[in-house]
Amino acid sequence: SNPMQHHSVHPQQSSGWSLSEDPLPSLLHLGFTEGQARQLLYEQCKGHHGHKVTMHLCGVSTLISLGMRPSNILKILQKCPDLCRVKGVQMQQRVDNLRKLGLVEGSLQRVISYYPKLLTLTPKKVNVVCRFLQEKCLFTTQQVTEILRNFPATMVEDFEQLEYKFQYAYFRMGLRQAEMLQSGLFRVSLVDLHYRHSFLERRGQYQTPDKKGQTRIVNPRPKDVIGGSEYAFLSQVAKATQEEFRVFQKLILREQEEEEQQEEELSGDEEVEESGDG
Amino acid sequence: TKWAATLPRIPATSLALHNFDVNYGLQFGDLWPSVRVAMLCEQKYGALINNFSDVPGLLSELRFKGARDFVQSGRSLGEGTGGAGRLPGEGLTPATGSTEEESMLPEMSPNIRCFVFPKGDIARFKPARPDSCGTLSYYLLDAASLLPVLALDVREGHTVLDLCAAPGGKTLALLQTHAISQLTVNDVSESRMNRVRRTLQSYLPREVWSGNRVAMTTIDGQLWGEMARSTFDRVLVDVPCTTDRHSVMEEENNIFKKMRTKERQKLPALQTQLLVAGMEATRPGGVVLYSTCTLSQLQNEMVVEQAMHVAQDERGVTVEVEDLGPLERHFESTFHFAPRQRLGLLVIPHLTANFGPTYLCKLRRVR
Ligand SMILES: C[S@@+](CC[C@H](N)C(=O)[O-])C[C@H]1O[C@@H](n2cnc3c(N)ncnc32)[C@H](O)[C@@H]1O
Repeated sequence: SNPMQHHSVHPQQSSGWSLSEDPLPSLLHLGFTEGQARQLLYEQCKGHHGHKVTMHLCGVSTLISLGMRPSNILKILQKCPDLCRVKGVQMQQRVDNLRKLGLVEGSLQRVISYYPKLLTLTPKKVNVVCRFLQEKCLFTTQQVTEILRNFPATMVEDFEQLEYKFQYAYFRMGLRQAEMLQSGLFRVSLVDLHYRHSFLERRGQYQTPDKKGQTRIVNPRPKDVIGGSEYAFLSQVAKATQEEFRVFQKLILREQEEEEQQEEELSGDEEVEESGDG
Repeated sequence: TKWAATLPRIPATSLALHNFDVNYGLQFGDLWPSVRVAMLCEQKYGALINNFSDVPGLLSELRFKGARDFVQSGRSLGEGTGGAGRLPGEGLTPATGSTEEESMLPEMSPNIRCFVFPKGDIARFKPARPDSCGTLSYYLLDAASLLPVLALDVREGHTVLDLCAAPGGKTLALLQTHAISQLTVNDVSESRMNRVRRTLQSYLPREVWSGNRVAMTTIDGQLWGEMARSTFDRVLVDVPCTTDRHSVMEEENNIFKKMRTKERQKLPALQTQLLVAGMEATRPGGVVLYSTCTLSQLQNEMVVEQAMHVAQDERGVTVEVEDLGPLERHFESTFHFAPRQRLGLLVIPHLTANFGPTYLCKLRRVR
């Protein structure tokens, strides 16, 4: 039950570990209590080789230098053990990059605590997504920062899905960028968005605005369509039963599968024709 | 044709949907969105069992897949078969209530069996297999379209007129009863009658539909009143209508196309004339059944009312509307019925039981 004893096999197993490099004192120096330091070394980051443990210490010190408390850091590493693998230099670059993207003190710490996975992403990856949001989806710099701050998981979303989701919201639902942010679009998956919107659309409760932005009916607020709980959506917006919505989802899924199948078959035919021509 | 290019071409399906939004929005109020989404999603089918085909193990195979015969199950209450617990209040009634319950059973043709998947189940039937003689084992149709046939209540030895028969789904169901002594199958369209012929050929042994038990005619249905006044025990008047589900889903052959506006507007008048003819061709005491696959009051109840007036005033034919309440109660676990109609019964599409629309009204000729 003593974590020290329990994990005491590790030092012998790992190669580059020597007492002189014992990171424990350094952690204490950074402000961790002995218990926290041990937990960090022997539980959170177990399985990593000794020399890496030394390196991640620099990563931890980067977090400390952001003014985050040791207990908080411990929680973060618990939530996202992968962070143990991030070297000090890298960690610093990533934090700097987030700053450059507009995350100011306070929001920076908050988003890291809430979504530590953000720091496992290279600046390149984050920048690609942000640039896509800005250049292709025409979000303003400020809006991109807001996405980063409030919906950091967007950075790891499948790129194709993200693109479809934006296009769906923009063209099919007629949402403007600001509305997308308010509606919680970046919190939901494309599938769920599609279910809810097409349910309302086929029920005659949602219309795509025309070129002038006009509809024949008053659409419900995007926030109520997209961001709310399913219960709220069904009882207040659609006014339908859960049973109906379940069946609808099954049917839509099958419709899509069959559409894709048809497309595949069609493209398959083309290939045959092409090879026949040649 | 310069102007043609600039005219926006709105698909007929959109025109239909817009028309329905306006009319059915008013007619059904809060219920309309739920009907609308169902009509725009895949409809459910029923497998009408072909009694003239013999595929061993077919029924148990269907049951194994989760389908059940919605017509016959629960018919004989208290047998404890699949129908147990289907009627509201059943089981609460003491034993003495059983005769009462039986008398509550709707009068309908026996020998018709049709399998459906339960509410909420979106499974589909495979295309029917032929038996060793090449006769197909079942016919896929909108299960709600059997209600008019069931309500017609064909009995042993009856003579029956199927006034608008093509493509022949209800004709096939009528023949499953084994009770008809003489069936007249009519449709004004030659080409569509050929479809009926093909259907009957692949489902029935030659001796059943050839010879003098089944007669095929292609006469304007409106003429049957004068041609065969007071002749048939049963007349089915399954009229052409706006075929709502088809109209919102398929561009082809869509009655909401601009060029068919006149034809569409004349439908209620044609329907009325067909029903009047049907009433007249029924023998006094016999039954005429009016049915459509539209939700439109203009084509349903109002046609019935109008036809009753015309029949009375111009042909001296009196009919009475029969109560379909027992039928409705019997089938309410399978279909979604619209709240009480002034006349007749209306099955409305619903995602969990996506059959219909089917309207039916049963009339008995009294004079
Ligand atoms: C709703 S469909 C009938 C479906 C058929 N009872 C079935 O269950 O398969 C209506 C039919 O009425 C026919 N029809 C249209 N006008 C007619 C007329 N004046 N007399 C007889 N049939 C007519 C059409 O050709 C069409 O086949």
